[in-house]
Amino acid sequence: MMEPTLSQYLLVSGALFAIGLLGVIVRRNLLIIYMSLELMLNAANVALVAMSRFNGNLDGQVMVFFIITVAAAEVSVGLALIVALYRKRQTADVEDLATMKL
Amino acid sequence: MDWLLIIVLLPLLAAAAVGFIPDSQRRMIRGITIGASGLSLLCALIAFCTFKVGSGLQFETKVVWVESLGLHFHLAADGINIGIILMGAIVSFAAACCADDITHRVKEFHVLLNLMIGGILGTFASMDLFFFYFFHELALVPTFIMIGVWGRGANRNYATYKITLYLSLGALLALIGLIGVYVQTGAESFSIPDLIATVQESPIDESAQQWIFPLLMFGFGILVSLWPFHTWAPLGYGAAPTATAMLHAGVLKKFGLYGIIRVAIPMAPVGAQSWLGVLAWLALANLLFCGLVAVRQKDLNLLIGNSSVAHMGFIFLGIASLNVIGLTGAVLVMIAHGLLAALAFGLSGHLYRQTGSLDMSRMGGLLRQMPLAGSALLMVLLAGCGLPGFANFAGEVTIFFGAWAAGLKVVTVIAAWSALVIGGLYMMRAIRNILHGPRGDDWAKASDVSPLIATALGLLLAALLVFGFAPWLLTEGIKGEVTKSVLLPKPSAVAGQIQTTEVAGR
Amino acid sequence: MNTAAWLVLLLPLLSAVLIGLGVFRSRIASAAISVGAVVGSFLLTLLLIAAGGELHPSVIWLAIEGLQIDIGLQIDNLSKLMLCVVTGVGGLIHFFSLGYMKEDRDFSRYFAFLSIFIFSMLGIVLADNFVMMFIFWELVGVSSYLLIGFWFEKPSAADAAKKAFLTNRIGDFGFLIGILMVWAAMGSINFDAIESKLATGTAAITGLAGFLIFCGAMGKSAQAPLHVWLPDAMEGPTPVSALIHAATMVAAGVYMLCRLFFLIEGTWAMEAIAWIGGLTSLLAALMAVQQDDIKRILAYSTLSQLGYMVMAVGLGSPDAAMFHLTTHASFKALLFLGAGSVIVALHHEQDIWKMGGLRERMPKTYWTFLIGTMALCGVPLFSGFFSKEAILDVALENNILLFLVAVFVALLTTFYMTRLFVVAFMGEPRSSHAEHAKESPAVMTVPLMVLAVPSVIAGYFNAHALNPLVLAASLVVLVFGTLVANTLYSGAKEDPLPARLGRLAKALRNRFWFDEVYQWFIDKVQENLAKLADAIDRWVIAGLLVRGAHGTTELAGRVLRLAQTGNLQTYAFWFAAGMAVLLFFTLN
Repeated sequence: MMEPTLSQYLLVSGALFAIGLLGVIVRRNLLIIYMSLELMLNAANVALVAMSRFNGNLDGQVMVFFIITVAAAEVSVGLALIVALYRKRQTADVEDLATMKL
Repeated sequence: MDWLLIIVLLPLLAAAAVGFIPDSQRRMIRGITIGASGLSLLCALIAFCTFKVGSGLQFETKVVWVESLGLHFHLAADGINIGIILMGAIVSFAAACCADDITHRVKEFHVLLNLMIGGILGTFASMDLFFFYFFHELALVPTFIMIGVWGRGANRNYATYKITLYLSLGALLALIGLIGVYVQTGAESFSIPDLIATVQESPIDESAQQWIFPLLMFGFGILVSLWPFHTWAPLGYGAAPTATAMLHAGVLKKFGLYGIIRVAIPMAPVGAQSWLGVLAWLALANLLFCGLVAVRQKDLNLLIGNSSVAHMGFIFLGIASLNVIGLTGAVLVMIAHGLLAALAFGLSGHLYRQTGSLDMSRMGGLLRQMPLAGSALLMVLLAGCGLPGFANFAGEVTIFFGAWAAGLKVVTVIAAWSALVIGGLYMMRAIRNILHGPRGDDWAKASDVSPLIATALGLLLAALLVFGFAPWLLTEGIKGEVTKSVLLPKPSAVAGQIQTTEVAGR
Repeated sequence: MNTAAWLVLLLPLLSAVLIGLGVFRSRIASAAISVGAVVGSFLLTLLLIAAGGELHPSVIWLAIEGLQIDIGLQIDNLSKLMLCVVTGVGGLIHFFSLGYMKEDRDFSRYFAFLSIFIFSMLGIVLADNFVMMFIFWELVGVSSYLLIGFWFEKPSAADAAKKAFLTNRIGDFGFLIGILMVWAAMGSINFDAIESKLATGTAAITGLAGFLIFCGAMGKSAQAPLHVWLPDAMEGPTPVSALIHAATMVAAGVYMLCRLFFLIEGTWAMEAIAWIGGLTSLLAALMAVQQDDIKRILAYSTLSQLGYMVMAVGLGSPDAAMFHLTTHASFKALLFLGAGSVIVALHHEQDIWKMGGLRERMPKTYWTFLIGTMALCGVPLFSGFFSKEAILDVALENNILLFLVAVFVALLTTFYMTRLFVVAFMGEPRSSHAEHAKESPAVMTVPLMVLAVPSVIAGYFNAHALNPLVLAASLVVLVFGTLVANTLYSGAKEDPLPARLGRLAKALRNRFWFDEVYQWFIDKVQENLAKLADAIDRWVIAGLLVRGAHGTTELAGRVLRLAQTGNLQTYAFWFAAGMAVLLFFTLN
């Protein structure tokens, strides 16, 4: 079987990132935006791991561990905020959450 | 004795003390303010009398504040600022006495007033650029609040916006210039004497001086209502409460001039040389243009405001002549104008309280109605058009000599015309409309000044007359300091002198 | 002696300060202090004269390298003579004022102002340098302002005061520039130093500087075209007119020219000064012919005589000018005080056509006024005769054209003084006030009699050989003028001249429309200039620039706000798009 090249890994990472960004931009549901955001984060992780492998050191992988940890914390805080917001407003649609707008 | 420290700390302590007194105790609040500024004045008087001319910095307080940045809390007096501090203390006391027209939120007003006084006195006592600037802001911020909250007239919000924006812009430009000075000298200190010592060793690069000086000149200039950045002044003073107008027009405004003399000229002498032509013509615009504008005013406060802007032209002209005579005259006019502006605004404040209007066309015959205030106003207006016997004349005539010696002949001729004829014209009209003639209808019930205010204004007048009869009291100190730390001897000139003496020796 | 010299100057100041600081509540005390001060100065002056010699005490007022301004007293023969005139005439007028101002409620203020005036005037006389002279020059201006506007509630008095001050300021402007030029050329402002430098030829002075200095004199001594303030200044109390606007202050310009003669000597300024003096004396004498107010006639006569003195200086004879100044001070003060006595007796009636027949009713005033008139007209053996003769002499020697002008002026002088005298004192009373006029009290008539003495004899102190041609000319005009005026006005009910002269009389009555032209100039030029400046300030600087900057900022804010939708996803889109563009450019 053929070993995938670096650019193939990066293509996957880029595609994931683009899908995530598209999700962030077009979707209206806060939860889905949040998941798309996670997708972008993981696209970066893929790129880092790939780089780490092709460079032959562990720096990128260590970085990814950090990101996963921080992301976990962030997800819990973010989800809690979304839940709190939903309880207060009975909606998770960003169109409806515009009270701060002038 | 550290007189300066006491002078500066007393009002600040009073501000704190007033903060602890309930708003209902108005007499006590006013008493504390007047007492603190009175004690400050006493200390300033002692300091002025014990000041030894020609023996460097005196009454020094120097505390290291941030060592790594070279920041010191450094108060000291020399020939230039001792007179200004005395003037500031007199005006502060007078302003405190004239603050009884404030009837709501008395406590807050007096906290701000004391802060302002402390800031003003601190500004002129500071020998460290950082504290020089800091104290100025400490005094400036209360000014804005006082005009906005306790101001008068329909225009006061616009006036507050305008004065805040203008003065902030000016202070910002000056700050950039000051930072430029600090960076370019490479000195490890913000202390003015240290900076001067440094530039005497190695002057700032000449191309850098070319942008540092205009920044300082326009930055400080905006703070002093240099033409065409002057429109905030009459408007702001017209809207300000009496005490605020007295303090700002009298003393705080002089910060900019003091900054130009103290920092801009010694730090960037080459820049000064190339920009002073511009400054001279702008000074002339101040004198001539604002004088003409003053002729058209119907409101007493706008008249005083515009004439005050016009008087700034004298000081700028003195600075622009860039010689000892002109600069000494400039400092003299700074002091004289401070006393005069405070008097004028104190009196207009008293008149405003009588009928709530300063429309000159409705006044008349007030010399009979209120002999004390009327005579004082008469003297103020006469002093304002440069009558000998008042300190203004001594300064103005010195400036004319200085400017003439500097070769600014056309400017001097037009300036003299503006001072003698146009200045005379609007002051005479004001006297004719306000004091002479039959009594205006609205003024039948107007009363004369109270003893407290009379004392305060009398003090200002007395100072104006003392310095007018004996200007050498001030000039002896100023001229020495100007030669020593404003017009720095150029290293090349000193070297050249040595060379010529050697040649002569041979 | 130095102390005495300082006291001469400072006593009146002390008096003004004392009155100002609180004695004003007591009328008697303030009058006593003021009169005491001027009498003290007079006695000290006599002491100085008796001691003889020159004194020159001085203290530093202000000294900055290259500019040293002293307050110094120069006591020499010139200043001693002038000191005598100022304190002597001033003292008599103080006494006269005791009677004249008795009824006034601002009695104390009046005496305080008089003291300030005496102080300032003595300062001019004693000044030993330009700046000191300028200082007191201005102070005299302001004390004259205060005294003209003494009855400040009267609009005409307040306006006249304002006019006097501003007109003088125009002259002072020239004076100041002249001082600056002299200082720049000489490096000093002390008279002595400059004189010695000029004498040794180490420095030269231009005629322009001398002429500018003369501008100051033009203002104070009311020379054309700055003469317009003096007739209006008659709004002040009559003793003030006598003291300031006849005897002392208006003579200050002449005194200054004599003091500074070394400065103008030999420059073109001399010529200009002579012609301005001659022209002023002619214009003023012409205007005096058609005035009806007793004080105004005397005011124009003063102008005309001042023109004489200035002309004498311009023709190179300060001695003649000072001589005429001294005699003129006594007889003109006498005439003014006499007019004051008449005015008080007639309940402040000043129109000569409402007088008449005062000869019997006010004999003391009549006789003293006659002496004054004769002195002014130059009747032989009276003081004015000698001093006028001296000036005519000088004119004949130097400039025949100006000599003719001066002789014509002498003719006019005789004419209008005879007219005044005949109409006011002779004939029948023309109003009930005149009918019931009574002689003034002794406090007013005694000063008149005292002043009559020098009006007669002052000429003998400086009498010199008479030039027969001059003598003949002046006698002819004297007789001719008196006869013509006497025929015209003896027994006349109204002035016959307007009918005979027509337009010329109208021009004279309207004082050649000087005031109207100035008013037009002020209204049209000065006022429009001020309007323009105000409009620029209001509309261009405060409006266009300041509001413009404010408006532009606000507009920019409004435009940029459109991009701020408040939608997070839009921001994310722009962010991503921006990144994409950036990447595109960096990777290519």
